Amino acid sequence: MLSFTIQRIGLAVLILFVAVTAMFLMIRAVPGDPVQIMLGPRATPELQALLTAELGLDQPIWKQLAIFYGNLLQGDLGIDVFSGRAVTDIVFQQLPHTLWLILASIVWSAGLGIVIGAYAAAHPNTIIDRIAAAISVSFVAVPAFVLALLSLLIFAVHLQWFPAIGAGDGFWGALDHLVLPAFAIGLSWVGYIARLVRASMLEVMGEHHIRTARAFGLSERRIVMVYALRLAILPVVTVIGVGMGFLLSAAVFAEIVFARPGLGKLVIDSITTRNYPVVMGAVLVSTGLFAASTAIADLLNAWLDPRARSAR
Amino acid sequence: MKIEWTKTGINRRKFLKGATALGTAAAMPMGFAGSAFAAEDGVLRVRAYGDSDVMDPAFGKGVTDETVHAAIYNKLIQYKPGREWDWQLDAAAMIEQVDATHIKFALRDTIGFTNGFGAMTAEDVKFSFERLIDEEVASPIKGDVGPLSHVEVTGEREGTIVLNEPFAPLWNIALPYAAGNIVSKAAVEAAGGRIGTDPVAESGPYLRSSWDPKNKTTLTRNPDWKGDAPAWDTIEILPIDDENTAEIAFEAGELDFTRVSLGSVGRYRGGVPNGGQLQEYPSLYYVWLGMNLDHPKLQNQKLRQAIQHAIDVPTILEAAYFGAADPANGMIAPGLVGSRPEALVPAAANFEKAAALLAESGETNVTLTLDILNKTTYSTIAQIIQATLAQIGITVEINLLESGAFWASGDNENLQLVLNRFSMAPDPSYATSWFVTEQAGIWNWERFRNEEFDQLHTAAAQSTDAAARDEMYRRAQDLMEQSGAYRFITHEATPIIHTPRVSPALRPDGLPLLRYFGKS
Repeated sequence: MLSFTIQRIGLAVLILFVAVTAMFLMIRAVPGDPVQIMLGPRATPELQALLTAELGLDQPIWKQLAIFYGNLLQGDLGIDVFSGRAVTDIVFQQLPHTLWLILASIVWSAGLGIVIGAYAAAHPNTIIDRIAAAISVSFVAVPAFVLALLSLLIFAVHLQWFPAIGAGDGFWGALDHLVLPAFAIGLSWVGYIARLVRASMLEVMGEHHIRTARAFGLSERRIVMVYALRLAILPVVTVIGVGMGFLLSAAVFAEIVFARPGLGKLVIDSITTRNYPVVMGAVLVSTGLFAASTAIADLLNAWLDPRARSAR
Repeated sequence: MKIEWTKTGINRRKFLKGATALGTAAAMPMGFAGSAFAAEDGVLRVRAYGDSDVMDPAFGKGVTDETVHAAIYNKLIQYKPGREWDWQLDAAAMIEQVDATHIKFALRDTIGFTNGFGAMTAEDVKFSFERLIDEEVASPIKGDVGPLSHVEVTGEREGTIVLNEPFAPLWNIALPYAAGNIVSKAAVEAAGGRIGTDPVAESGPYLRSSWDPKNKTTLTRNPDWKGDAPAWDTIEILPIDDENTAEIAFEAGELDFTRVSLGSVGRYRGGVPNGGQLQEYPSLYYVWLGMNLDHPKLQNQKLRQAIQHAIDVPTILEAAYFGAADPANGMIAPGLVGSRPEALVPAAANFEKAAALLAESGETNVTLTLDILNKTTYSTIAQIIQATLAQIGITVEINLLESGAFWASGDNENLQLVLNRFSMAPDPSYATSWFVTEQAGIWNWERFRNEEFDQLHTAAAQSTDAAARDEMYRRAQDLMEQSGAYRFITHEATPIIHTPRVSPALRPDGLPLLRYFGKS
């Protein structure tokens, strides 16, 4: 397990390095003078030259990259060009908003998906199973942005049950403001996880220990909830790990549609204004999140199911 | 080495049991209390299109920061809310242009800074203005104060602004706008010479009581404010960049005031939800089709004029602006000095004249590229231009560009046609400054070079005679249009909606002046 853990962490670091380097090079390949965009049209050429030098943009690209990694190793992500704040502060101020959104989406979608999947598997080929299948597939099929807009119109504008925009104040305010965005980006995962759990459950339900449990006269409910479901959710753990990456992407549009703060919105705003230090800081953290979550999912999976370790 | 996972007390069985329980619990029916969004009496909720994070007026990013600065700082004069451009006294008890280069002022004795930084003095005014032109401070809005020389302090609250040469725009774009905010000298020096995200000392009717980045800025009444009491106890400014989202938030009862998209104006003309009201203001933006005079394909003036006459502005306004915007007669918007009552080329296309001009030009099989910013409005405009120019036999290929790439087009010598949109401050010099010869290839993408235009731009900025300035700016726009390099399209519009409990205070271009917002 230890060597597998080391390998997996090494892979995560490599993913992070490749992604961040690629982003560093890509953003510099985008047309447009970043300094001109940052300072606006009224800035004098002297001021533009000053900022160019301050940002190190007059250096060769390899040197800029070396400086970036050198600073990174010292925990310095640079300074926001506009506000003069440390990029680390800016990024970590936005990070919790995105993390809460992703967490809320995962919790509700995995929870409901597991229940639907388990219920469908416990009643295979019945009308309930077919209805569950239809619901699951339709959840997967609905584009998240359509769902976001519809949920806004129905639950925020018409019914006024939930707030439409922002992140709210305090714990309950924040929770209230999470409902619609988490619903919008999590719904397709309900369907996906339900299908996954159903398939996994059906496989488990045919195994010897389940037949043995039945032979011992245990109730079907207990067999499903305690013995079958426990094994059937194993694939869900892996899927959730990978899903973090997808949910990070989905969070970007959710943060725009619901006017929420967060990493996604920070990246978009910073790219638009060519605020290089903030873009790199936000990309580094979000890529790190993705690499860490997939690594953790793999490690968990390997821990829960030793066969996964040997399969590698 | 073997890792003892069970040392934590969690083994596989426990983990799986817990995960199962968590999943089941999460799926339990959750009862969310209905959210109440009834507006609180003293709280005004307005939308801004971006976050306001720079509290140093010398480094403000434009409208979003100035919206907050104008409420928490004072200027000598402020824009007067209404439909006509005008100003009113703010920190100044008196201000007077004593000659072409000297402006004398006296401060009110009732204005003080927070955090113990004392009363506002003429030294603060001197510091605030002079730091804008200080090379070491490197303010990006240095140009707004033009030929400012210095500020003479003649008393504790009296002084004189001294210019190197006359500069009429000072009254329109510097004193009542971003460059005019007065900060506390002692506070800024104590902060190391630059204000960060925390406004170290405020003096306006509101204080910025909290800032949750990209979520909310909260302004509360300044308890020490001695002027007319502001109407609202608290103003919450919510950064929402997408207008459709802002409209939904308004309809959900979460906003009292927002700008809306031009596409929604028709719907709101039929009634604004929640008893709200729609108000339509003109905008200072100007949109035009430019032609690169240096490009070999556009050397023929008759060809350029043919293009001017073949573009049908009313069709563009109907399709791209949903009939909510008027045609532009130049780059200077109605209501400002220098605005022309009509353009040389009428708004409606004249295909016969265009075809005749094209024939006169002798050009055949003309194919041109049209660069545009990749946004729906401009894409619609470009397609109409493409269709109308096709009617006289000119083929147009549209290039959609991302904002960074588009705004870097100035030095693109291969640029042919370009659909452009510039913002403007309420003084004509702001507009003409981009089209002088020295801006060719920077912001003057048409490479329009005209000696008379350059002279008019300089002379008009230095003139304090409004009628003379008006004449000069009109002539300057005539020259632009006569070159054939410009087809002015529209100034767009600023439609806003507000709840019935709010009496908005807006500039003539529809931008909010929060300190003057009232209750109705």
